[in-house]
Amino acid sequence: MGLTLSAAAGGATHAAGAGAAGTGAVTGILTELEQQFPGVDFVRQETKDGIPTAWIGREALVPVLRHLERGVDGPFRTLYDLAGMDERVRANRDGLPAADFSVVYHLRSYDRNADVRLKVPLAGDRVSVPTVTGLWPSADWYERELWDMFGIGVDGHPDLRRILMPPWWEGHPLRKDHPDRATEMGTFQLPPDDDLLYQEALEADPAQDARTVVLNVGPQHPGTHGPVRIILTLRDELIVDAVPDIGFHHRGAEKIGERQTWHTYIPYTDRVDYLGGVLNNLPYVLSVERLAGTEVPPRAQVIRVMLAELFRISSHLVFYGTFAQDLGAMTPVFYTFEDRERLMAIIEAITGGRMHPSWFRIGGVSQDLPAGWEQMVRDFLDYLPPRLREYDRLVMQSRVVKARTVGIGEIDKDTAIDRGITGPNLRACGFEWDLRKKRPYSGYDRFEFDIPTAARGDCYGRVAVRVEEIRQSLRIIRQCVDQMPSGPHKSEQPLAAPPSHDRMLHDIETLIDHFLGVSWGPVVPPGEAICPTESSKGDYGYYLVSDGNVTSYRTRIRTPSFPHLQALPLLCRGLEVPDLIAILGSIDFVMGDVDR
Amino acid sequence: MTVLFYIAGAVAVIATGMVITRRKAIHALLYLVVSFLALALVFYVLGAPFVAALEVIVYAGAIMVLFLFALMLIDAGRAEEARERDWMRPRAWIVPSVLSAALLAEVVYLLARGGVPGRTAAGAAAAGGAAGVGGAAGEAAAQVKAVGIALFGPYLLGVELASILLLAGLVAAHHLTVDLDSEDGETAGAADSGAPGRTRQKGGRP
Amino acid sequence: MPDTAWHIIEVVVMLLLPLLMAGGLTVVERRLLGQLQDRYGPNRVGVMGEMQVLADAVKLLGKEDWIPPFADRPVFVAAPAIILMSVLASFAVIPLTSGFAVADLNVGLLFFLAMSSLGVYSVALAGWSSRSKYPLLGGLRAAAQLLGYEVFMGMSLLGVVMMAGSFDLSTIVEGQRGLWYVGPQFVGFVVFFIAGLAETRRTPFDLPEAESELVAGYHAEYSAMKFGIFYVGEYLGITLVSALMTVLFFGGWLGPILPGWTWFLLKTSILILVVIVVRAALPRVRYDQLMSFGWKVMLPLTLINLLVTAAVILAT
Repeated sequence: MGLTLSAAAGGATHAAGAGAAGTGAVTGILTELEQQFPGVDFVRQETKDGIPTAWIGREALVPVLRHLERGVDGPFRTLYDLAGMDERVRANRDGLPAADFSVVYHLRSYDRNADVRLKVPLAGDRVSVPTVTGLWPSADWYERELWDMFGIGVDGHPDLRRILMPPWWEGHPLRKDHPDRATEMGTFQLPPDDDLLYQEALEADPAQDARTVVLNVGPQHPGTHGPVRIILTLRDELIVDAVPDIGFHHRGAEKIGERQTWHTYIPYTDRVDYLGGVLNNLPYVLSVERLAGTEVPPRAQVIRVMLAELFRISSHLVFYGTFAQDLGAMTPVFYTFEDRERLMAIIEAITGGRMHPSWFRIGGVSQDLPAGWEQMVRDFLDYLPPRLREYDRLVMQSRVVKARTVGIGEIDKDTAIDRGITGPNLRACGFEWDLRKKRPYSGYDRFEFDIPTAARGDCYGRVAVRVEEIRQSLRIIRQCVDQMPSGPHKSEQPLAAPPSHDRMLHDIETLIDHFLGVSWGPVVPPGEAICPTESSKGDYGYYLVSDGNVTSYRTRIRTPSFPHLQALPLLCRGLEVPDLIAILGSIDFVMGDVDR
Repeated sequence: MTVLFYIAGAVAVIATGMVITRRKAIHALLYLVVSFLALALVFYVLGAPFVAALEVIVYAGAIMVLFLFALMLIDAGRAEEARERDWMRPRAWIVPSVLSAALLAEVVYLLARGGVPGRTAAGAAAAGGAAGVGGAAGEAAAQVKAVGIALFGPYLLGVELASILLLAGLVAAHHLTVDLDSEDGETAGAADSGAPGRTRQKGGRP
Repeated sequence: MPDTAWHIIEVVVMLLLPLLMAGGLTVVERRLLGQLQDRYGPNRVGVMGEMQVLADAVKLLGKEDWIPPFADRPVFVAAPAIILMSVLASFAVIPLTSGFAVADLNVGLLFFLAMSSLGVYSVALAGWSSRSKYPLLGGLRAAAQLLGYEVFMGMSLLGVVMMAGSFDLSTIVEGQRGLWYVGPQFVGFVVFFIAGLAETRRTPFDLPEAESELVAGYHAEYSAMKFGIFYVGEYLGITLVSALMTVLFFGGWLGPILPGWTWFLLKTSILILVVIVVRAALPRVRYDQLMSFGWKVMLPLTLINLLVTAAVILAT
């Protein structure tokens, strides 16, 4: 099964469904590059998501990237993702340059509404790439992660330290030779000396002079929404610098992806953005479906959209309440959690779960909708809007809230794009961009809704955008209820679902098929795909590499909170500690999403 | 009442002694507050409740809090304590103590002779003294009034001069803090290279 | 001798009543907030949860009274005591009803201001003596906030004093026989109410403890009953400010039919409830906003109020 096979019909249609990212732009940008850099050897690779992909040598990397970032028409201003991959045990590498490791640069141009993916093969003793922090400031953390996870050096990086793992960790976890279970690593011990070492690793630089104070916010702090540590340098309570320290919530979700079968990884996705529920399942199953060429029946698509929007509301309600609480208003959080509780009752009735229903399946959803779901959803649709109006009066129109949030933590559109900021935080800068509109997936093009934006990119705008998104989600859900198609709730494709029970009882071949599919798991054909989705936090995608196996060869999770938190120092410099808390609340990150 | 007076007086003297001998600045400050409170009680027992209240509100409640505020900002560490301990050596305190003792002896002598001669009527009014010893409520109100009349009558010029002085002090203080803040703004601006956050000037401080 | 006995009764009542009210207030606040926030609040201990006070007290007393090794011990211990003493002492001048006050001081109002100005020490010293960054920041905020708002608090009362011609609280109440001062001194009342919220460190002015920013601010390092005393001190403060508003602006014990003390308690309770509702409704302001609001809005407002009051008094 060579890579040529991967250009199957299924993949192509999905790419077309992904909007302008596919077809026209595919050859376009790579051809442009080849003309611009005649000396550079671009090795093209077909991927199932239709994103133009090419391998280039390490030496040509920076000039090519610089050209893409500022030289071309419709420049690729956003470093969407930067990740490594251990290529050493990959079987299906036909036509690709020899490499022990590779580094993937996934760029996005908003002007073109197109992505491009460049890969660098690395081999030999010296596995390192040059830094691109000069082109995209957001590359900073990604490159640190690259070093941390793969031991791939980054030449010229200003501050190359571990980021997710603690500084005393030995080895690089995402290398294939690193154990992926604690049971493979010997008994865990914590001698007192080591404990001391771990504690010392947490120390920050002391204050430089008498007026400067170093304040440690977190990892346990009520204002940080999860275990993140922010080392603040204060001068008279004004923030001179803020250095986020992450990794406290790291659970190795990407490593687990290389161990779990395609189906059994679904529950792990739920835990990444733990407020997003099925919004996590969606990008994963969409990516797998692209790899497997699975067609999702219309009913399943609409159910998915409805559930996704319900969870978007749920996530935004938590955000709304806790944001108000960060500002010191204690009441709204109880109201929004009450609403969320009603929403959870619907989720529970439909999926049987609450926060982590793990309900989407490859090719559809787990079960059909239960009897009486329609009334429950309709009741909620009528219930929420008056409550939202009340919160408007309580929070959004409050003069104290305005005084605390308007003009605080401002970021302009261009900086936001450079920093890889996506989702509501980007729309708050006045940039009308929503993947559901621009690259419709899962049938979003069949729904009518608006993309709310704000003007200033400040805390108030970020909240206002999300509040309006709740209303738009209600609109989408109403359309789902009104136009719910009939039909199967999941695909019949063998990769997606085991054979039907009746057929299984009839012949042995089907029984074996069923047995293998359930106990071992389906084998997804080799290939690579990502399907970015608009999650409640921002642009969220699973870059999956299949090596023709029952598990993924590489699972890369591109989460929105990672670049958002990385931009924090930019947002809060020169402001006060209370503003920091307001900003933290307004960018709506989830530490599970940052650390994975 | 006499017993109260002496107890309060003794507390004031002891607390003041502690102010001098404490090594930690905040402890000394606390004893100073106690001393002020004791003095307020002395005033009250002497029949000047208005002055007593002012003593607490202005000295103990406001000026000392400002001192406390300043001391909290200065984190005096071990070095400071060592210096303080150094000052506690007899060489440092013996001469001033002898001089003070001489003054104390004079005061005791004068008191023993039967009061301080030459108290002026206006001074008595300002201190809220003479009229109010053991006075009834009405008289106390009159006392307050007397203080007010004294301040805005014979001493008007003094009050105005004092207020002009204070105003000058206020303007100077504001000038100093504003200068510092703008310097900060420049350094912060240089550090964050195009950060959108603006350095805000703090609101008015007392 | 009956005089002395009566006096002792007065002292006991004025000591116990505020403490009881403050204790009860902990439950009332939580229950009321619960009602306002679509939830129950503590309702398990006792019939309606009213015994929660006792349960909390027992819990706090049973906890380890931990003093951080890095703290400044004597000051750390003294800080919670100061708040309790200063607030309780202030109750001495509050007239519960005609002739019923521990100390009918002719400078009663000044005494209250003096005591409330001493309350600053408690919070600032608690922050300092904890020798830890968050409490220190809380203590600094508290010192600046309380000092600043004391000014407006005192000045907002001067209008009342001018109208009554006395600092004596009983005289002030008697002066309201015809018309409560809340009418003519409405601006003074509003300023006093806001300053009172700031002085008792209540939302929206709870910056010294700001749980989402400074964790618990000045009392972050406190545990067990020392923490409990800060807690009680806060509720005592609310009770005191409400009682004082009753006396100064709402005619104290004056009212028809019912005995004076019931009127006093009724009015005080209503004002306390208002303070609680404010907490449910508002977010917290930022430090610099608090200060500029104080000096740029409150101060001019009180000065204008004083000027107008003086002019009216002179003209009539």
